[in-house]
Formats: sequence, structure tokens, C-alpha cells
Amino acid sequence: MKKTLQYVVLAAVLVLVAFKSVYFEKLSTHKAATGPDAAGKFDAASYAQRFWTEKLLPATAQAPDLSALLTELKANPQAAFAQSHALGIGNIRYFLVRGAGTVAKVDKNDVTVRLADGNDVQLATEYVFGNAARDASGLIRNQDFDNTADLNALAEQLNGLIRARVVPGLRADARPGSAVQFAGALELNQAHLHLDKLEVMPLAVTFSPTVKP
Amino acid sequence: MQLALPANSRPLLLKFQSLIALFVLCLGISLLSDKFLTGANFWNVLRQISVNVCISTGMTLVVLTAGIDLSVGSVLALAGAIAAGLLRNGIALTGPDLFIGFTVLGAVVAGLGTGTALGWFNGWVITRFRLPPFVATLAMLTIARGLTMLWTGGFPITGLGDSFDYLGTGWLLGIPVPVWVSGLIVALAVLVTNKTRLGRYIYAIGGSESAARLSGVNINRVKTTVYALAGALAAVGGLLVTARLDSAQPNAGSSYELDSIAAVVIGGTSLAGGRGSILGTVQGAVIIGVLNNGLVLLNVSPFWQQVVKGFVILLAVIIDKSNAKND
Repeated sequence: MKKTLQYVVLAAVLVLVAFKSVYFEKLSTHKAATGPDAAGKFDAASYAQRFWTEKLLPATAQAPDLSALLTELKANPQAAFAQSHALGIGNIRYFLVRGAGTVAKVDKNDVTVRLADGNDVQLATEYVFGNAARDASGLIRNQDFDNTADLNALAEQLNGLIRARVVPGLRADARPGSAVQFAGALELNQAHLHLDKLEVMPLAVTFSPTVKP
Repeated sequence: MQLALPANSRPLLLKFQSLIALFVLCLGISLLSDKFLTGANFWNVLRQISVNVCISTGMTLVVLTAGIDLSVGSVLALAGAIAAGLLRNGIALTGPDLFIGFTVLGAVVAGLGTGTALGWFNGWVITRFRLPPFVATLAMLTIARGLTMLWTGGFPITGLGDSFDYLGTGWLLGIPVPVWVSGLIVALAVLVTNKTRLGRYIYAIGGSESAARLSGVNINRVKTTVYALAGALAAVGGLLVTARLDSAQPNAGSSYELDSIAAVVIGGTSLAGGRGSILGTVQGAVIIGVLNNGLVLLNVSPFWQQVVKGFVILLAVIIDKSNAKND
């Protein structure tokens, strides 16, 4: 009798837990409420489009000149990193930069630009990944997003815009010896600073017959 | 000059060796870093330790039976991922046009069930096929990690909601929720090991399995129960980690098995089984946690941190061996 009572109580608890654990609804109704087109859902693609046009590209006008930044990074890294941004904690920091130079080499993965001061920098054309485009301007704030998935989606959408809007023109027009002006996002590790091979995610690139100083 | 200790001081020193080590560690770090003895850091350390305390409690039960469980880190990851995946995505059945959604309770139950099932499987394999626990749980380490990768597709599952995240980030009566959870688990484990038949059987099996068998102890059932408990407690750790990060990471829990074994050994539990305690393991987990925290505060390179931790474990095992010989 005692054993039976134990089983009855156990079964009741299990039923209660199961009842409170799951809920059922029509899959079509659920998809309409939570799918990518649902009202109130974060639309990374639209957000990225607006951010790109209204904030990121205008911000490049005020970005530090890459040659000057490199000089400062060598002389006083701490002061130079004050101009960097990042959403996460850690040593990885991002700079919004602009620069001008001459195309030195065109490779499958990047275009090498020789700056006026002789430094080489690579504009990425193949591996456009990471958070540089999202974080470099410092205009995106963690608190404006509900979760990190939305932030990640935004970074991916911005990288997609680079691949769609910047890379094709860069690949088509880059010829060794041609003059180029660019704006982009640069990733550097604060603790392990290496300035010998710099890769910039290109945000805007224009070619002109002569190099502007 | 030779230091002469009173004859009766040695047992006392041995009894409190973990606490003495912890005190010396805290004193040393507080002298070197002014950030160590602060309220914020105190709660931070306790919150970090909570996960290891949960896992190490299960590991202690296993080690007391002269076993080992190398799969706890992977089980932690899978349990956290299952809970996060079900909570975030539910189960969609396109055929009957049915969506099964999971509440926070449902996700927690699913995570705990996953851990318990994997732990039970470990115990079943070890007892049914007489496999060395080292080998069986090493296999489970790989199996569970692979299943985690399959379930998550190699990507983190994020955006789990405030109610779930409360488990890892919330406060209750001025104390972080993970500390409450780990405290409750420790209290139950102390009760089980000291006051129940299962506890006595665990020590008996670790002391001498053949003697326990001759005394009528159902060795297989006790061992399977112990491994299932270890899996369940690893799952608790997985839920806490996932809730704290608001994200189930596919590579979560890597090397956690080593931290938990370290806590068990430093806490004085013999790897040969039959000797040790849950409270000793808690001390071991605190020492590991404080050591981790101190090395970070002192800006020691992560590579050196691993070296230091390795030597601490080595030292603990040597001391344990020496004590066992003297006993």
C-alpha cells in the first residue's frame, strides 16, 4: 500500500513537471510569430544597410590617416589605441582608418597598397570575416541589442555588404601602379602588436590617376 | 637549525592541510594584488567556483569508488547545449504541423536528463563489460563532444532569455544563484555520503571492492548510480555555465575534467578510492578557483597558469601518496 502511494505521488509529480515543461502549437502559427518576417524581430540586413549608409561611411571622413596612425602606434601605442574601439573585452581592438597610396601587388586574397611613407597594407578581397567593420567606428553599442546573436548577425551582414559593394570594384580596378584612396577597418592585438603585415577590411575604395598626398 | 614540531601537531597539520594551503594562497595573492580582497572579486570567485564545485562533487563520488570520470567536461557541454537548443528552438515536426516548445523548467529537466543518461551509460558500460573507468569515460568524452557539435552545428546557441539566465547571473538574498545551487548540492552530497546506505557502500567499494561484494553490496548498481549522479552534476554545471554566458558554446567545459580531478585530489580524496570527503573537495575547488583568480589578477600569462596548476596538482598527489604511506 505504502509502495503504491509512493508510485502515485511520483507519477503525479512527473505529470506536473511534464505539464509545466512543454507547450504545443501549430508549426505554421509558430513560424509566423517568430520567423524572420515576424513583427518586432531584429532585421540584421535592414539595420546593416542603414548603418552602412547613414553612419559608417560618413564616419570614415573623420577616421585617422593610416600612415599617421602607424607612426603613433610605433611611438606611443597606448595613446594610439585610445582611438580604437571594440564591443568585447580583451586585447583585440579595431580602428577606422583612411589612407592613400599606390597599388603594389594584386593577389587572389588581397590587394597590397604601398602608402606614401613606404609602409605596405593589404586590402582584403577574399577573407572578409570578423567584427572589424561592425566595431571599428565605435558607433555600435552592446546595450542597443537584445542578444549577442543579433550583434553577430549584424557583423555578418556588414561583411556581406563589403563583399557585395566594395570587393568587386576593388578587384576589377586594381592594377599595379594605380593610385588608390581607401577607408577601412583595421584589427590589431593590443598585447601582441605586429605592424609588419596589416590587413584592412575595405569600406570605400576609389582609384584616381595620381596619388593624392 | 632544525624546526621541531610538537609530536601531536602532525595529525593536526594533515587534517587542515587544504585550509592552511588556502590561507597561505590568499595571503600571498592579497599582498601582491590590491584587487583580490574586494567584495566584487569575492563574489566573482565564488560564482566561478560554483561550476567546478558541482562537477567535483560528482567526481568525488566516482573517485571514492576507485573510479574516474573523464567525460564530465563534454557531458557539461552537451547538457547545456540540449537545454539551450530546446529552449531557443523547441522541436518542429513538419509532418503533423506541430511545434513543441520548452519552458525554462522543461529545458532544465532535459539538460539534467541528458547528463544523467550519459552518466548512467558510463556506469553501465563499466560494470557490464568490466571496462576500466578511464577508458570508458574517455570514449564518452569524445562521444559527448561529437554529439554537442552535431546538435549545435558547431555554433553557439544564444539569446536564452532572462528567466534562464537568472540561473547563472541572478542573485537571491544577496548571494549569487550558482552559489546557492552548488551549496545545496554539497549539502545533499555530504548527507548522502555520511548518513545513507549508498554513502557507506561508496566508501566500502573504494576501500575493497571484493570485501564489499562478499558483504552483499550490489557493486554494479552502486557504481552505475554513482556515475549517473556524476553525469547529473556535470549537467548542473553545464546549465550554470550556459545561463551565465547566455550562450551554449560547443567547446564549453574543455579541460573541466582536469580541474575537477585537481579539486578532488587537492581536497585529500585518494585516487585509490575509499578515502576522502565532499567538504575536502570543496576546499580543493576553492584553492583551484583562488589560484586561477590570483594568476589572472597578477597578469600571469595563460600559458604559465597551466604550468603552475599542473605543478600544484603534482604536489597534491605527492603529498597524498606520502600521507597514505605514513598512515
